[in-house]
Amino acid sequence: MIIKGKVWLFGDDVDTDQIYPGKYLPLTDKGEMATHAMEGADNGEDFIKHVKKGDIIVVGKNFGCGSSREHATVAIKGIGVSVVIAKSFARIFHRNAVNTGLPILELGQVEKIKKGDVLEVNIENGEIKNITQNKGYKAKPVSSLEMEIMKAGGLLQYLKQGIR
Amino acid sequence: MKTIIEKIFSRGAGKDVKPGDYVWVNLDLVAMRDFGGPNVIQEYESMFGEHPVFNKERVAITFDLHVPARNEKVAINQRLLRDFTARQGVRLFDINTGIGQHILLESGLVKPWDIIVGTDSHMNLLSAAGAAGFGMGTTDIAGAMYKGKLWFHVPKTIKIIIKGKLQKFVTAKDVILYILKYLKTDGALNRAIEFSGETIEKMNLSERITMTSMVTEMSGDIGFIQPNQEVIAFIKSRTEEKVETITSDPDAVYEKVHEFSVDSLKPQIACPHSPDNVKEVTEVSGTEVNQVFIGSCTNGRLEDLKSAAEILKGKIIKRGLRLIIVPATMEVAKLALKAGLYEIFLSSGAVVTNPGCALCTTGHPGILAPGEVMVSTSNRNFIGKLGKGAQVYLASPATAAATALTGVITDPREV
Repeated sequence: MIIKGKVWLFGDDVDTDQIYPGKYLPLTDKGEMATHAMEGADNGEDFIKHVKKGDIIVVGKNFGCGSSREHATVAIKGIGVSVVIAKSFARIFHRNAVNTGLPILELGQVEKIKKGDVLEVNIENGEIKNITQNKGYKAKPVSSLEMEIMKAGGLLQYLKQGIR
Repeated sequence: MKTIIEKIFSRGAGKDVKPGDYVWVNLDLVAMRDFGGPNVIQEYESMFGEHPVFNKERVAITFDLHVPARNEKVAINQRLLRDFTARQGVRLFDINTGIGQHILLESGLVKPWDIIVGTDSHMNLLSAAGAAGFGMGTTDIAGAMYKGKLWFHVPKTIKIIIKGKLQKFVTAKDVILYILKYLKTDGALNRAIEFSGETIEKMNLSERITMTSMVTEMSGDIGFIQPNQEVIAFIKSRTEEKVETITSDPDAVYEKVHEFSVDSLKPQIACPHSPDNVKEVTEVSGTEVNQVFIGSCTNGRLEDLKSAAEILKGKIIKRGLRLIIVPATMEVAKLALKAGLYEIFLSSGAVVTNPGCALCTTGHPGILAPGEVMVSTSNRNFIGKLGKGAQVYLASPATAAATALTGVITDPREV
């Protein structure tokens, strides 16, 4: 799966209250949740106003730390983000992304990517082309167990198909 | 030659596992709460319809976040959970019980070796009882409820040895904040922790809960403490099932070993807006405070309330300051009542509310106005969590109580 999109940058340790503020937790409608993606982060309002379908979020370390709310991955996916590239992810966010089919990749050199860069990302093998800067990066490949779940369309589809 | 988490996952997977492996393991208990729970039910039923859960005795719903329901939306969500309970016959702990993990512990649903998942990011405090508890998202919990198993990444383990005798009014909360100061909020990312050493071995269950709950704030998967006799006796008194203690092998392999000496440790406080922005209380003493919260899954047990009561007894809180005290569970509340703590709290000018998570998140009565300052015994002070522009400090019940008396951040050794 090849994804092409424009980069939005956020920092290190972006917690789930920044990704999806706690006051919206009672929402259960996925479309409604999406309208609050990244609302609590710096430049979050700008992001919500101008993000386009297929855009890419690039962040630093420990993205998605904090609470277990899956609203965070659902909102990011729902607003149209195609992949999140981070130096590292918090455990629960990582799980939620795999289980809800939001593509994520871990990349050591995230700081080389600038806001507005256009990236071409191969989710399967982790190859990333920075078209704006004419550079290439290699992200850590996803484990085969996780890839199977993503390919099934998420955890519930995977379990329902009786693979496990 | 295994650490505790490697042993538990090996048993759960039915095969030998090592750090770095991705494995499917069987679950002993699946829990959800009034927040997250409704999303779990929707996911579950839209995918699996009326299909019975894997084991109705091993699914528990706890109401602890917005109790009693604070608006219509929450009321509808709670109703959805009650209706699901009626259809599926799973366990329900309604609004008159308290914080989920604590209720599970008190109800005999948690024992060493168990693998337990739930929608609360502080499920890992169950490791205070030797169980592997994990907070997860709604899809995970829906899948867990359907199949009774989930996938895990086996983490490496970091060992933290704590030595020394704590001074009066220096508590488990001060110890864990002190560790956070050095390990930082990503210091245990994708790692398990094992706490050991003489200081830890002596800790009672409440203190162990305080320690293990805040492993979440270091981004750790879980932090184990080998159960002592007191902990095993507590668990045995609550369950008919066989209780087996758990310990790591003497030759277990740790990624890192940290050692802390706490003989001269002073009261610690996490300043806005991060749990690792930790200073000695004396460094920020004198800061004006509008509100104090004593409670949460980290510091809402009877011993925590007693620690606050010792300082508040016979005294009145600073005029203009609000003190809100919330027992973790109804059992704790009843014991506090019997011990005379309500008399002390109410006479001091505190508001004591019904058991629950209370001021750990937005949406609970007691939210702050912009610019206001709160000292909280909870585990998080992320920006915006308790109102836009609010300043939240995290400290022990003793520091919180001392602060309530003076109206400024105060070292409990000074009152």
